[in-house]
Amino acid sequence: MSSETTTGATDPSQSTVERLHVAGLHAPGDAVLSVRDLNVRFNTENGVVHAVRGIDFDLLPGRTLGIVGESGSGKSVTSLAIMGLLAPTAEVTGSVRLKGRELLGLSDKAMCEYRGNELAMVFQDPLSSLTPVFTVGTQIIEALTIHNPTMSKKAKEARAVELLAMVGIPSPKDRLKAFPHEFSGGMRQRVMIAIAIANNPRVLIADEPTTALDVTIQAQVLEVLHKAQEETGAAVVMITHDLGVVAGMADDIMVMYAGKPVETGAVDHIYYNPRMPYTMGLLGAVPRVDVAEKSSLVPIEGMPPNLLQAPTGCSFAPRCPLASDACLDGEPALAPVADDGLHRAACIKSDSLGGTVDVHDVFAAPPVPVSRFDAIPRAERATVLQLTDVRKHFPLTRGALIKRRIGTVKAVDGLSFDIREGECFSIVGESGSGKTTTLLEIMEFHPDQDGEVVIGGLSNKQAADAKTKGKMRRELQMVFQDPTGALDPRFTVYEVLAEPLQNAGMDRAAIKKRIMELMKLVGLQPDHVNRFPNQFSGGQRQRIGIARALAVNPKLVVLDEPVSALDVSVQAGVINLLDQLRAELGLSYLLVAHDLSVVRHISNRVAVMYLGKIVEIGAVDRVFDNPRHPYTRALLSAIPVPDPHLERTRERIILQGDLPSPLQAPKGCNFATRCPVFAALPPAKQEKCLTLEPLLEAAAPSAAVQVLQQAPVPVPDQQFACFYPDGEIDEDMLVVHEPADHLAP
Amino acid sequence: MTNLNAVDPAAVAQDAHLESADVVIGKSTIIIRRFLRNKTAVTGLAIFVALTVFSFIGGFFTQWDKETIDPFNIGMPPSGEHYLGTSQAGIDLYAMTVEGTRISILIGLVVGLVSVLIAAVYGCSMAYFGGKVDKVMLFILEALIMMPALLVVAVATSGGGAGLKRDLPSWLLLIIVLLVFSWMGTARLIRSMSMSLMQRDFVKAAQYMGVPPRRIVWRHLVPNIGSLLILDITRGVTAAILAEVAFSFIGIGIKVPDVSLGVLIGQATSQVSTFPWMFWVPLTVMFLLTGSLAMMNDGLRDAFDPSSTSSGKAKKAKARTIRAEKKTP
Repeated sequence: MSSETTTGATDPSQSTVERLHVAGLHAPGDAVLSVRDLNVRFNTENGVVHAVRGIDFDLLPGRTLGIVGESGSGKSVTSLAIMGLLAPTAEVTGSVRLKGRELLGLSDKAMCEYRGNELAMVFQDPLSSLTPVFTVGTQIIEALTIHNPTMSKKAKEARAVELLAMVGIPSPKDRLKAFPHEFSGGMRQRVMIAIAIANNPRVLIADEPTTALDVTIQAQVLEVLHKAQEETGAAVVMITHDLGVVAGMADDIMVMYAGKPVETGAVDHIYYNPRMPYTMGLLGAVPRVDVAEKSSLVPIEGMPPNLLQAPTGCSFAPRCPLASDACLDGEPALAPVADDGLHRAACIKSDSLGGTVDVHDVFAAPPVPVSRFDAIPRAERATVLQLTDVRKHFPLTRGALIKRRIGTVKAVDGLSFDIREGECFSIVGESGSGKTTTLLEIMEFHPDQDGEVVIGGLSNKQAADAKTKGKMRRELQMVFQDPTGALDPRFTVYEVLAEPLQNAGMDRAAIKKRIMELMKLVGLQPDHVNRFPNQFSGGQRQRIGIARALAVNPKLVVLDEPVSALDVSVQAGVINLLDQLRAELGLSYLLVAHDLSVVRHISNRVAVMYLGKIVEIGAVDRVFDNPRHPYTRALLSAIPVPDPHLERTRERIILQGDLPSPLQAPKGCNFATRCPVFAALPPAKQEKCLTLEPLLEAAAPSAAVQVLQQAPVPVPDQQFACFYPDGEIDEDMLVVHEPADHLAP
Repeated sequence: MTNLNAVDPAAVAQDAHLESADVVIGKSTIIIRRFLRNKTAVTGLAIFVALTVFSFIGGFFTQWDKETIDPFNIGMPPSGEHYLGTSQAGIDLYAMTVEGTRISILIGLVVGLVSVLIAAVYGCSMAYFGGKVDKVMLFILEALIMMPALLVVAVATSGGGAGLKRDLPSWLLLIIVLLVFSWMGTARLIRSMSMSLMQRDFVKAAQYMGVPPRRIVWRHLVPNIGSLLILDITRGVTAAILAEVAFSFIGIGIKVPDVSLGVLIGQATSQVSTFPWMFWVPLTVMFLLTGSLAMMNDGLRDAFDPSSTSSGKAKKAKARTIRAEKKTP
């Protein structure tokens, strides 16, 4: 089957009739879903926002279309318009045909016939898309009952069990009676998929199905989606902002910008031969987890246009480094690119962009900043933060009147590490592994803590008085994950930045001067200080957050997922800024992130945490290129890479199940319950993992290497806690997609 | 985006995007716009303002006041001399209504505003300090909720508070008693809202900067529940006016010679058939007062609610013209 994403010319000067004629009013006979000239408008306080401006595509059975774009590009609105789930105030025009039947204009009641039956959707947030008061079984059976009123109760139950088994939920029969809160996020997303495929839909729309999940769980869920597609033969529309996620799954890609497709084509064409500067920028802005090379990321400056006025030129022109006067003369239509008839790009320069043009040349990537500390060996640099055996245990109690202690949650269990000057240290791990608790323990800085935290020579054991605490607060500041939530919406930027300075007892004139410095430092215009946070874009807000953290000149900045709430193109700018500030101001960072590619790009050292313990720690290149602990190996293999060929052929370790609850933490090695190496071990060796706790130790180079080098080899900066590093991986947990799955287009 | 036509660096374009006034609209502008769009609410506001103005300047339009007895017109229906007629004792009803409206509005506004203020500070403090402080403060609050307000009002205004009664006018006493019993529900609501605000990162950020608790409550918590507070003020005013009317009606609120709408209605109930104007006039005013507040409240809720679907008629008209343009090729 060939790629068949026909996308019509969208020249605004043509009338609708002409446009439809060009796009082909009638879809190819075998398309399950064909969308023609889809337009969505919203009434807002500012005027009419034209959120989706003419989308055409055809979807053939069994194919996957990936829709990629920044937030606000109209991806989700498109999917909701197809599903008929937009608010009644939205105005939808065009045509959406499901197997030849028109869906637009149907009443809500008539749409119910299709929704959940032939047209199903998986939503982004699994935590809120299941009703908490009904069991999972009831909710699946509900989906079956609505569209199959004649089905017997027994048959429905059997089908529900079958569905749960299909999406990989262990002991499905018992789990039918479980409530959503008894499932983890990944499990709930599986249930959502089970509900979506309950009636064998012809089209499955997945709107950012894995964005809210951990990487290991993301890999599992993507695997389930893949399987669901194989079982049902449904066509899938996969909406995502993550170019890595779709690289392995999609057959065709549609890149959206400002409510319009700007480039469409087969996945290989888009990734290896992008012809639109926006696509090139998106690809260049993503850090790669599999590449050690340190080069700055490509930021796409500016922000997407707002869609109140119809653009008179190319909508990307204000952000495009290649824009010229010709670009402003009318919005370019999607036109076939020379290399392949089905690859279309909406750029007048697309022909000159093919082949060898490097994205770093197109977008001016800043030079790699060098810190004055980079030249000094790590051992000779001063320590800014030292943690010694920090523990945080929460008692778990039960009973209403008399509280019985039934166990202990070891959120952080004996953590020791240090951070030197000018260094970026990262902690990675799944959610629930204790990363955030570690940060909170450092920020709390209280003498009653179990374990010692030393910040810039001040120990928490002597931090009884407010003066020491105040001094410590000047050494250590924090940047939060969500830039919107971290800034008081009722403060102007000036007030936001003045708060820490006032608190440090600075006088008015000095505060004003410092704020102007800070604004310049983080790349914001100083005259914007009187604006409110909601007048800035997400990336700018995060810059304000960074400026606030830097206000009191700290030595160490704690970054809690600083870029995970930002769009890819904006993320690149913030990462570059952090890199540059580290070099210029000699800062140290403690970074917590779940995105390992960001970690690899920015940090010098990394610690991998699992259930409150560090399982592997060391220099970032060492750990990422030569992971020894099976958990690190699994984590790294789960990260999607924006490279379709690599994605298709890569071996993945898919971990079974979720993070065990810390209550049931095993006696020996914490990881034994999910360990792919453990599963492959003979029982005699398994015994050791179950009874003894592996300690964090450096790997001494083996005797053979010593002999080979004929000299004592220095011990590399890498420690791990495993008895059988580099062990054989259990075959059940290894997944390789056969290349036959995807016919090369 | 406003200037797609300039080949400027992206930063400049973005700047223009933010600076053009039609893109970034202040929150207050949005709220006012949405409020003004709700015709019912605007009508409500107009009636309320008119009544307030009437209660202050209405007295200048008649020579009579609420104490002077006109012995030649006792229990007379409305006439040229007495616009709204006179009572059984020969007192001008128009003058009494003006006075009563003023007292009722005064009680409503003072109780509505002050009780919300108490509730805000109390609720925010509970949420911020948490732990033992929260428990003690919550206990006091619960105790007050369980106290029979009606009895306390009755005792304070008639029997028990003899000393108080001598020193204070009855409307001030009623205000104090109403205040004591009106803030608890709001305080609980504010406590739960602030508790969720406490989880927000900007409060954590302030704590990690070492900002003292008092400053955090006053600068971060109170302003952020502002929209709820405004809604609660209008609701509180209505509730206070109704409470005053109810208490005065059963004879434990405002005492003669002070007049309020409740007193007027209470006195007239027994004589509806003989002196109907004595009953219907104050009742109509009370309906206008509470009704206008209710109408306003609905509009305010719509204006403050971010998820409100209220979108302008002007915008709809614009959308229609666009559609019309599309239809005509």
